[in-house]
Amino acid sequence: MNLSMKGIVKSFGANDVLKAVDFHLNEGEICALLGENGAGKSTLMNILGGVLPADRGTIELDGTPVAFANPAQSLGAGIAFIHQELNLINDLPVYENMFIGREIKKKSGFLDHAAMYQQTKALFEQMELDIDPGAMVSSLDASFKQIVEIARALMMNASIIIMDEPTTSLTDPEIERVFDMLRTLKAQKVGVVFISHKLREVMEICDRYTVLRDGVMVADGYVKDTTIADIARDMVGHEVRTGGKAGGAKLGEEVLRLEGLTQEPHFRDVHLSVRAGEVVGVTGLLGDGRSELFRTVFGAQGRYQGQIYMHGKPVMVASTQQALALGIGYVPRNRKENGIIKDMNILENGTIVTLPKLTRRGLIDRKRQHEQFDVQRRELRIKMERETDGITSLSGGNQQKVVLAKWLSARPSLLILDNPTQGVDVGAKEEIYEIILRLAAQGVAVIVLCSEAQEIIRLCDRALVMYHGSVRSEVSGETMNEHEMMRLATGG
Amino acid sequence: MKTNEKNQTLLQKAVVQWKTNPLFSTACVLVLMIILQTLALGFDFESFGAWFSHWTRNWINILRNNASVGIVALGMTFVIISGGIDLAVGSTLVAVGAVLMVCINSYPDGLFTSMGITGLPVYVIGIAACLLMGCALGGVSGFLIAKQKLPAFIATLGMMKICRSVTQQVMQTQGVKVPSDFLAIANTKIGGQVVLPIIYWLILAVVLHIISRRTTFGRHVYAIGSNERTARLSGVNVEKVTALVYVLCGLMVSIAAIIQVARIGSMDYANAGSGYEMDAIAAVVVGGTSMSGGKGSILGTVLGMLIIAVMNNLLNLMGVPPFLREAFKGFIVIAAVLLQKKEKNA
Repeated sequence: MNLSMKGIVKSFGANDVLKAVDFHLNEGEICALLGENGAGKSTLMNILGGVLPADRGTIELDGTPVAFANPAQSLGAGIAFIHQELNLINDLPVYENMFIGREIKKKSGFLDHAAMYQQTKALFEQMELDIDPGAMVSSLDASFKQIVEIARALMMNASIIIMDEPTTSLTDPEIERVFDMLRTLKAQKVGVVFISHKLREVMEICDRYTVLRDGVMVADGYVKDTTIADIARDMVGHEVRTGGKAGGAKLGEEVLRLEGLTQEPHFRDVHLSVRAGEVVGVTGLLGDGRSELFRTVFGAQGRYQGQIYMHGKPVMVASTQQALALGIGYVPRNRKENGIIKDMNILENGTIVTLPKLTRRGLIDRKRQHEQFDVQRRELRIKMERETDGITSLSGGNQQKVVLAKWLSARPSLLILDNPTQGVDVGAKEEIYEIILRLAAQGVAVIVLCSEAQEIIRLCDRALVMYHGSVRSEVSGETMNEHEMMRLATGG
Repeated sequence: MKTNEKNQTLLQKAVVQWKTNPLFSTACVLVLMIILQTLALGFDFESFGAWFSHWTRNWINILRNNASVGIVALGMTFVIISGGIDLAVGSTLVAVGAVLMVCINSYPDGLFTSMGITGLPVYVIGIAACLLMGCALGGVSGFLIAKQKLPAFIATLGMMKICRSVTQQVMQTQGVKVPSDFLAIANTKIGGQVVLPIIYWLILAVVLHIISRRTTFGRHVYAIGSNERTARLSGVNVEKVTALVYVLCGLMVSIAAIIQVARIGSMDYANAGSGYEMDAIAAVVVGGTSMSGGKGSILGTVLGMLIIAVMNNLLNLMGVPPFLREAFKGFIVIAAVLLQKKEKNA
């Protein structure tokens, strides 16, 4: 089946996400859909999958115009969307998962297990898959789960399969297994849209590619006619972004050193040294292991191999309390889940880390609590009405400043920031950058985890690029540019 | 759109409070019930003095009868705010009560004097053992929940079964002899009335209120109940605080046990404390504490306990058959939570 999307327009309020995008997919073709976060890939595929309606534009299947009001209609037309989070029920066997929602029943109304098992087995044999239909899904590894989802799509007669970053959580042999499946699909005339950030994989498996940037299709063509470097440049755009960090900062003693830090399957053999006053970036794609790495350094991720040194002394960090005592501060990603306590007020959110220091004879000294927070409020310019208001009454940027405030009051010698400007508007972003640079100037060692190249360039003296849990390379000065970081992060 | 606070009438203010402050609506319900109860007692202006002493006696009865479970509910409040639940409180009560009885019985009165200590009644050993046992049993639940990551429901359900069963087996041959000076702990009259259990309840409520509001431990309990991950990432020792919450609850249970034994002079190992877990949870919930943790207050629990107690009294005064009273209890729990839910959406 040939797919053709023409002039697709989609806006969310004043935000134009797709500006007349065209997208084509031929029968039995694997086409990569590429672009940075926010480029519009997911929106485009959600329109194709019937999850979102398009504002304008047409979708044609084999030349016939179609419109999908919901995912069921899209699926009925032969388009299956396999999301990043798999939709399988772990505690049911494979064959029951294959028929979930459209189970085969006997006349008596009971499930016809034998028929479902047989049909699943027949399909697996046809696809040359070595999976026991009776196995529990929970016993399968991630790649086989992915394959079961693909097989389920085929059982529903899908002729186009959309896969959203299917390899993010897979290991190399597992990726190869999924690729084998994709080759089989191709031979059976099924078309695949392959959304991915990993250009090396795109070069290996895809026939064609389409690049979106800021809601516009900026490039498409055959994979055999291009290179990773070209695609990376298309994804980032040509404009050179300025505004890097003013160099020449005076660095102090070493604060943190990691030697061969490993925690399978998240990261392995990481070496790093950060000095006082230095801002070190760590970047890569989703699932590169950087968050897990630094959660480990903060004592929130469990056991590890290798050695952590603080101020030159070997230390063991087994809990967040130990990390706190060692002078490590940590601003986590996903503020709502990890950063704020929604039932507590601004003051309490901003002082929870230092609460034990604010007590006198066992009771919290409210005056000192207020004074300590007020210093940070002025320093960080937190905009708020009363400190007894709920934390959720603040804007994202101000919430993030409160999270920063709770750590700054603890006067850490090492501050780890994971995605510090997530969900923060442009103005507040710049303020947070200034705060981070000021801290470094005061002699704090800072580690910034971020996937936005501009942010790394703006803040960091140097940056590590991670890929699949390993540090691929270190960039600084000339080499710290978007193209180079994108190339390294995509495994090129 | 905020209306100017100064221009609001008293009624408007009350409506805002009703919608936003669970304590206010709980208090309103309580006042309403007290008015009903006053009417049911046959309020008569002409013989006010006689009516008033009748009313007071009735109230002292209500409070005294609920002091034990009221104290258990204080501990339960901490547990529920931390996001957990403790089903073992009723069985823990008989277990620690048994420890108290054994200690009181097995130490001869002359023990302290032979050791040269005077002026100390021998039953303090029993009290100390009882308090320690309560902390220890709470500690076991806490360990299972915080360290072994068992769901609180399962861990305390297990403890509930174990505590009562073992106590009944061990205590079936034990004689009961409670010294009269021990009974004085709860029965000494003040102003001609037996009010000591009420005073203990009040003191503990104040202490626990301060702990919940003004100590690091108290605030950490709220933080864990609201968002355990953030609490951990803010350097809170989640395991320790969680375990301590159950130890505190166990301590409250043993105080309740001491008062109960001292009040009655005996303990029925099969039935004492049975249903306490549900009564305590009901009081906590009616008092506006969220079962999902993070929100609630000691004051709310005291009000919640009073609402249930006054309602019981009211049903009694109105001659509602005893079998039906539990149904009213169930009704008020459901109504209270529905009321609080509505506020959240408003």
